[in-house]
Amino acid sequence: MNIDLIAPELWMTLLSSLVLLFDFTCPKISKKSLAYFSIFGMALIILQLICMAVAGVNDTAFNTMFVLDPLAIFFKIFILFSTILVFLASLEYVDKLSHFQGEYYYLLLFSALGMMFMVSANDFLSLFITLEFSTFGFYILVAYLRDDVKSNEAGIKFFILGVLTAAIIAYGISLIYGDTGTILFSKIAMIEHKMSIGLILGLLFVFIGIGFKIGAVPFHAWIPDVYEGAPLPVTAYLSIVPKAATLCLFLRIAFATLSDLKQEWVWLIATVSIFSMTYGNITAIAQKNMKRLLAYSGIAQIGTILIGMAAGTKMGADAVLFYLMTYLFANLGAFVVVIIYANATQKDDIDDLSGLNRRSPLMAFAMLLFLLSLAGVPPLAGFIAKVYVFAAAVQQGLILLVTVGLINVVISFYYYLIVVKKIYSVEPIDATPIALSLPMRLVLYVGIAGVIWLGVWPKPFIDFSVTATKVFAGLD
Amino acid sequence: MITDHLLSIILFAPFIGAALLFLVGNHRPDIIKGITIFFGGVSLLGAVTLLFLFDHTSSTFQFIERETWSSELGISFYIGVDGIGAPMVLASALLMFAGIFVSWHIKDRLREFYINLLVLGSATMGVYMSLDLFFLFFFYELSVIPMYLFIAIWGRHTKGYLDMKGNPKRDSVDFIFNFNQSSKEYAAMKLTLYISAGAVAALLGILLVYVHSGQHTFDLLEIQKNGVLSSGMKELCFLLIFLGFAPIAAIWPFHSWSPVGYAAAPAAASMMHAGVLKKLGHFAMIRIAFTLFPEATAKWMPVIAVLCVLNILYGGLVAFLQKDIKFVVGYSSVAHMGYIFLGMASLNLISLSGAVFFLFADAMAMGLLFALAGHLYRETKTLDIPSLGGLAKKMPFVATLFVIGSAASFGLPGGMNFIGELMVFLGSFNKYPVQTVLAAMAITVTWAYYFRMIRSIFFGESEPSLAEVADSKGFVGRFPLILLAAMILFFGIFPSPFIQIIQSGVAPIVEKITATEIHDTTSDVAFGKNQ
Repeated sequence: MNIDLIAPELWMTLLSSLVLLFDFTCPKISKKSLAYFSIFGMALIILQLICMAVAGVNDTAFNTMFVLDPLAIFFKIFILFSTILVFLASLEYVDKLSHFQGEYYYLLLFSALGMMFMVSANDFLSLFITLEFSTFGFYILVAYLRDDVKSNEAGIKFFILGVLTAAIIAYGISLIYGDTGTILFSKIAMIEHKMSIGLILGLLFVFIGIGFKIGAVPFHAWIPDVYEGAPLPVTAYLSIVPKAATLCLFLRIAFATLSDLKQEWVWLIATVSIFSMTYGNITAIAQKNMKRLLAYSGIAQIGTILIGMAAGTKMGADAVLFYLMTYLFANLGAFVVVIIYANATQKDDIDDLSGLNRRSPLMAFAMLLFLLSLAGVPPLAGFIAKVYVFAAAVQQGLILLVTVGLINVVISFYYYLIVVKKIYSVEPIDATPIALSLPMRLVLYVGIAGVIWLGVWPKPFIDFSVTATKVFAGLD
Repeated sequence: MITDHLLSIILFAPFIGAALLFLVGNHRPDIIKGITIFFGGVSLLGAVTLLFLFDHTSSTFQFIERETWSSELGISFYIGVDGIGAPMVLASALLMFAGIFVSWHIKDRLREFYINLLVLGSATMGVYMSLDLFFLFFFYELSVIPMYLFIAIWGRHTKGYLDMKGNPKRDSVDFIFNFNQSSKEYAAMKLTLYISAGAVAALLGILLVYVHSGQHTFDLLEIQKNGVLSSGMKELCFLLIFLGFAPIAAIWPFHSWSPVGYAAAPAAASMMHAGVLKKLGHFAMIRIAFTLFPEATAKWMPVIAVLCVLNILYGGLVAFLQKDIKFVVGYSSVAHMGYIFLGMASLNLISLSGAVFFLFADAMAMGLLFALAGHLYRETKTLDIPSLGGLAKKMPFVATLFVIGSAASFGLPGGMNFIGELMVFLGSFNKYPVQTVLAAMAITVTWAYYFRMIRSIFFGESEPSLAEVADSKGFVGRFPLILLAAMILFFGIFPSPFIQIIQSGVAPIVEKITATEIHDTTSDVAFGKNQ
């Protein structure tokens, strides 16, 4: 067995344990230094992963339960990079927490570790374990503001629905195992007659679980409340990273394991996609709170990503990966602006953002770019991603799906531009400038650089995702 | 050689200027203006050089530059101009440069204003240069957002909004069913949504072409040459692309965003918008729909010939009823789009060249009129025609140029529009005699509302409240106006070099479409004989 394959996870385990250890044993140590230490550690792990990617590692371990292929490496780098950005964005926020500052960082690392395992999961058992492993940390993090009613409410909602989903997935897996006698993706892929009732029912249950984790309609109900109640940096993290990691699993199951059932799952994904986009966008119009707006916009964005999934080709997978990168920069950036604003003023309604341009031109400009990127306006990243996804779907003749997607792009313009209008056109009630701390400024700059770079010169990133999806090269 | 990268210089100079402006604080307006003029000037100089170096004897694309952008998706950054693109690049550069001076007195967020102007200018020029469908669409979409910001930030509420009392005056766009149709936010949102809705239809058409042409490329010329589309797919793509670009070209009944948008926008934005942004629609139709789908074009143009008359009549009559200077000019612009569509619908060398000539002519005339409207608004704080009067004594220079601009716009011989209209009518008469006669008669309406507007603004009783108004003064005030007026008069009197250039671009397109038409008729004849 090849233990080197799980080296990044081992380092990550060590890193999170060290953070917890230092936090308990050295109470004098500043919590910020814990965060910087973790960032440093994660940067080193990213380096290691890049080396692995260059060396072309592609192997399985633990009796093929665990796989490390370019796709897994892509997602691991994605997870660690996002975690670093969220750590930077959390520094100021955590500083204001009255308790458990160190554990906050530990729990984030712990969840990231779970997701790193998740993207390498290669059978249904590790799928279940890693999904729960990563969600475990979030149950606590969502309810972290223990004196805040909304946070507690969010925690309970998230927990109950999360556990229910876990039960559904477990039931689905038991059906799959009962019907086929195996839980390995690779063995299920080789079964010739997949249309047996047990397997199909089991897969549908697993699909429900995945739908819940990525927040697609009709499994989206927890999203707005949890986003609103959870601590802001946690919301930012939840809105991107778990979704990306779950999508990786979804890609593995749908594209690699069930590729011969494509005719059947295409309409399923397409339906979910249409509902997610339409529901997310139309509901977002009515929102008055920035977090809820981003929550519904996130539901719609997942719908758009699912268009790429529905294409069911390698190009579709490339598009999904590229879309996730653009989504990371734009969505995280938008949340960071809200975090800074909420830190300074304790408010996060859309109306409160009025006149942001007068209070902090940098934040206003950054928010403009992030929202326009989410809307899909050139020369920003979101535009390329949307064209990529749509092109992949048109190639498979999914004209109806693409038409709905395009109409939704126009709808989304409306609510993103309303926020832009508030920021730029309305005069502020209180015009005191907002100060930005260095880490926050750094995250904003990274976000701005990301949305512009991916929009103007996406070639390296497209190449990156094209290499990562080589596993799906066999798909037509 | 510098000419190898002439188009890149024209295109990227404003972008570089915009990037540099981010480094300058708003407390240094002199530096901001300096940078903007320099990079706008480089672009204009390049565009003038482009026209001088343009070889009108060749009908291929010139000044071609190509850079692979993504081989995975088959996209390359591929630019070049023909006889249609080159004049429009010049028009964009001219209006952008004039717009810099027209916006000289803006105090609020000057830096952001100029960044928007430069981005808008280069985005429009990018469309006129692109030979890659992806980049054509890229630049096209890029031009929409600056317009939104222009109107939402520096725009004005139109008169109806300011007259409103109390509750209805609240900010309307927040509630989707509670529009307040005179607010600038409404105008900005309406413009963006109309254009974006069209844009996504065009994008679907472009993607279908990309996927079904079998070439795995967005390269327009490659698809033109080797693309294999079934005739049904061709027709679908034609309709999607034509309808996609119809809203921005303000064809009736998709025109309603445009006068509202002009009226609310600041002067420089109205100039760019009416002058070159709107023409992107016609340009994209000619560039993509006409060249890729000649059969479908020949089939559908009779429908456009009917719609264009509605444009002319409806635009003219509504303009006659307006009381706001910008609304009058805006609706007259809608009417002018009808002449352009008539020229496009006739599909022969003279009429299509006339239409392209008219694109340029209308850009200059609209630019001049909106610049003057901007000056009037700054001095008098209103654009309401009944509350103005006798301004010719106070501002003789502005009055003179307003008459020149209006005269050009209603097609007085000596201005550019006259040449364009004449060519359109000459070319269209054989094919669409009824429409041509109606369009020609509608010119009288144009005369009527322009004369009435000139009379009530500049002549008659002087309003006592307007005692303090001043004429446009100095280089900054007069230069952009003289620049545009000079273009109108010069090319109105010496149009032939310009027409030669335009015809070199139009000729191959017309040839291709005529070829398919002849082919159709011969096959019909053959079919008849067989029977």
